[in-house]
Amino acid sequence: MSAAKRVQQWATFARTWHIFDCKWQDPYQSAEVIKKYLLGMHKPIYHPMNDCGDVVVCINSREIALRGNDWRQRAYFHHTGYPGGATWTLAWEVHNKDPTMIIKKAVYKAMRGNLQRRHTMQRLFIYPGEEIPEDIVQNVTNQIRQLRLVPTRLDHIDEEEVKKFPKVMDYPTDYVLK
Amino acid sequence: MSLLLKNSYSLIKNAIVSTSLRTLSTTNQLRLKEIREHKEGSTVVLEGVFVPSPRTELLVRAENVKESPHICPNTCYMCALDLDVKHTDVLILSQFVRSDGCMLPRRITNLCPRQQKKIGKLVTMAQKAGLMINLTPSYCKKDPKKRYGFKKFNTYFDEKTIFMKRIPKPTDRFER
Ligand SMILES: [Zn+2]
Repeated sequence: MSAAKRVQQWATFARTWHIFDCKWQDPYQSAEVIKKYLLGMHKPIYHPMNDCGDVVVCINSREIALRGNDWRQRAYFHHTGYPGGATWTLAWEVHNKDPTMIIKKAVYKAMRGNLQRRHTMQRLFIYPGEEIPEDIVQNVTNQIRQLRLVPTRLDHIDEEEVKKFPKVMDYPTDYVLK
Repeated sequence: MSLLLKNSYSLIKNAIVSTSLRTLSTTNQLRLKEIREHKEGSTVVLEGVFVPSPRTELLVRAENVKESPHICPNTCYMCALDLDVKHTDVLILSQFVRSDGCMLPRRITNLCPRQQKKIGKLVTMAQKAGLMINLTPSYCKKDPKKRYGFKKFNTYFDEKTIFMKRIPKPTDRFER
């Protein structure tokens, strides 16, 4: 095997580290994307029996956004196994307790349930804020594109820019400004 | 409301100037009004001042923008522009609200009922997502992070949920 081929072999089977910024992202939609990187489905050498999955680091998981009224309507079910041991916890209560749990459960649910799933989950790192340990930052070589644009708040836009922005609506002539 | 203000304005003006000015007019003045309050000695003076509209030169209309304007005379300006407005477009949505974040009524916005409902719901979405917190009442907790319970977390909305049923536009034609 020539030196070039050997490097190609290393590059093909090496684990790549991806970073994903969860700010204003829907966890259930981004789980479908993260899953593909965790299982290595984005690679041409993918096969279910082939251990070619990558590592994904999720940051800002505290800043995830749920759709509509999901925060108060989505319930997470847990059963202790004892009679009467069923509990339903709302999404905002889960997120209050552990800001990494919703995205973790979403990725876990997006994958097929087999013996590999729990090992694949070990390759997912989730951090509630932007601070990551230094040894993990050094491994990261790729960034996964965000699915949704992070919205800009009106008070963060420059006041001059708001004034100069083209207007659609004009007040009627007898309107009293408030 | 405007009539009341007009009347009160003329009353105040008469009280101050005390001359027989003709305050009634059959045509609209091409200006907006602003009510200003200031003190002169021991008396508080409220006066309605005419100001030119700040939006007139920035106004975008379909007949000026599009190359071949094929617009029905009855369509409103938002239908004619045919913009894909999302709830995150706060620069557009903030034009339709008062300074306390309340949606303006249809007699002021001059929209068709469908667009009025759509814009109103988009404004609600933007307010619930905390994107226009400088346009809120004074008692509102401005920072979304300090709100109670589930309200402090980020929420986004899907614009497809505004009209679940596709309502035909007035320009659509049906074959029977
Ligand atoms: Zn219309």
